[in-house]
Amino acid sequence: MKEYSSQQKKALVVDDSSSQCAMLSTLLKEEGYEVIIANDGACGVKQYIKHEPDLVLMDINMPVMDGYEAARQIKGFSGDSLAPLIFITSMATEQAFIDSVDAGGDSILIRPFSPQVFKAKIKSIQRISDLYQQVKDLQKEQQQDAELAEKMISDVIESRNFALDKIGVIKQAATIFSGDIQLSSLCPNGDLHVLLGDFTGHGLRASIGAIPVTETFRVMTRKGFSLLDIVAQINRQLYHLLPNDLFFSACFVCISEHDKSAYVFNAGLPDGYVFSESAAIKHHFPSIHPPLGILSKLLTDVELIVVSIEANEHLVLITDGIIEVRNEQGEEYGISHFENAAKIGMLNNDIATNVLTSLKQFCASMSQEDDISLVDIPCSGWQDNLQDNQINQVHIPETYTSECAFYDVSPTWSWHLILTDKLLSTVNPIPIIMNQINDIEGAGEHWHSLYTILTELFINALDHGVLELDSSLKESVDGFSQYFKERSKRLEKLSFSNRKQEFISIELSYFPFEQGGKMQINVKDSGQGFDIYNVLKNNSLAQNEGIKLSGRGIELVNQLCDTLDYQENGTFVEASYVWYNTQH
Amino acid sequence: MSVSSNISQEDNKINIVVNERFDFSLHQQFRDAYSQCTTKKFNYALDLSQTEYMDSSALGMILLLKDHVDMYEGTLVILNPSDTVNKILTIAQFHRLMTIER
Repeated sequence: MKEYSSQQKKALVVDDSSSQCAMLSTLLKEEGYEVIIANDGACGVKQYIKHEPDLVLMDINMPVMDGYEAARQIKGFSGDSLAPLIFITSMATEQAFIDSVDAGGDSILIRPFSPQVFKAKIKSIQRISDLYQQVKDLQKEQQQDAELAEKMISDVIESRNFALDKIGVIKQAATIFSGDIQLSSLCPNGDLHVLLGDFTGHGLRASIGAIPVTETFRVMTRKGFSLLDIVAQINRQLYHLLPNDLFFSACFVCISEHDKSAYVFNAGLPDGYVFSESAAIKHHFPSIHPPLGILSKLLTDVELIVVSIEANEHLVLITDGIIEVRNEQGEEYGISHFENAAKIGMLNNDIATNVLTSLKQFCASMSQEDDISLVDIPCSGWQDNLQDNQINQVHIPETYTSECAFYDVSPTWSWHLILTDKLLSTVNPIPIIMNQINDIEGAGEHWHSLYTILTELFINALDHGVLELDSSLKESVDGFSQYFKERSKRLEKLSFSNRKQEFISIELSYFPFEQGGKMQINVKDSGQGFDIYNVLKNNSLAQNEGIKLSGRGIELVNQLCDTLDYQENGTFVEASYVWYNTQH
Repeated sequence: MSVSSNISQEDNKINIVVNERFDFSLHQQFRDAYSQCTTKKFNYALDLSQTEYMDSSALGMILLLKDHVDMYEGTLVILNPSDTVNKILTIAQFHRLMTIER
């Protein structure tokens, strides 16, 4: 800005009378301007292009091209700068005034005028011009800042998503910042967490919450927290962070390829969908909770929706932007248009592209008012690589037995946690345990398998031990959600139980050896016990037939563990997990 | 005026009506409609029967109204939302937060 005002300003005088030119030049030079002269309109336009002056003084009646036409052309070239233009004339008529404003003139000065009036006029118009330039500069600066911030935010948010190549996405922001965010992250046990969310409003204001939400979602998923824990934490965070009229509508999904089930929590987004392979709508997930950030705590009577899914199905989430797109006639795109486009997309194996094409056809030349977002998640296939890794991770060194026998005598550390009654329904001990292990031994790939083992052993102790749920419930396809309902019911009862104290005890002992280590895991529960051998036997049978849905947890643990020993009628399990560092 | 309000001190009632589009452009008007009302235990009614369109910033404005009502220990009821508007209120599950009468 300083540079701009300290430069000598240029003024262009366009007048066919040389005496007029001389008079105006003298006055302008007294005001510090460098003066350029042109004697007709056409010449004036040429000089304007050549010198880009800060001020133009224009006569109206001239040969070759008159002042109005020259003014129009000059205004056409001046682009972003104001380039104030003053008509100077002796025609003191209303029409002259109107015509000069129409031609793009910023002011008009009627002859005769005194030098003082002329100078005052120049000053006032220059003041407006400076102000205009300031606004332009600020706008440019703001635009650059916004672009930079946008780039940083999208780097943080999108680039670190999991399985980007597998998940179909539409993301179109109405302004430079989008209030919509799409996140995907992998759980330690191979489940996939996906979030589609929409902050109130647009622009930077709508993007502020995006970074904390992203961080919380990623960190908690990685640490193994359940979907509902993550929803509750993000809600708490946004409640404290956002002003009262800003909130976050979001749908959270956990897809477990292993359980063939999807868990959904929709807080304020339009229905989510599961499309079957034949493109039928198999499930709707309506909103069941107000958007996040409004209530200090989640409503207590709200539960995740659990549905069973097949490998070839797709789960699709959208924000309201898609439904509310309007065409020139003012009609809404609406749910039915969307569902049809998605069905055709499902058959063509590309929901995102198909919906986008359909949207474009519908709204034709109309510009979009809201951010438009869609995520299309295949119900399987995003964790192929992971399973290969897991198999490598459980490679057992040949020499481990002797080494273990030696280290068995004294673990370098052990850790014990007992949860009772109500805490069994409110505390997920697995992230706590994994945190302890990471704190003591540092992070490591081999902990992924340990996470799976701990989760399965704890869930078995809770479901079949303490809650006495029958795993045969899970056998039918619909049984899984029935099982889940019964489970929530019994968990609820735990809180009020006056019977004997229920508990689950988890004990870890760590034995390092030179190129790996062993973790001894003991889990004891207060239940009646269950016939683990029967479950395992059934599992092997079932696996051959490829039909049974239940009990795979123990089967998986059996494969991952070095030893797995159920005792005391199934109420006590001793497992050991051995790993070997492959990096030398 | 797209927002009009009607205060009846005798009945302890205030009725706010929003016409046509209820969006961010009404922010100030909507606030002005109730912010003067600081009597305790007042009954607030937000009549959305004339509202044809509502966006998420309107939901935010309703939340601010709710804060105001709670602060002065009043009651709030949303009256007669049209189908379009009710759809938006339902997706946001606003009936879990306040009374909606159709």
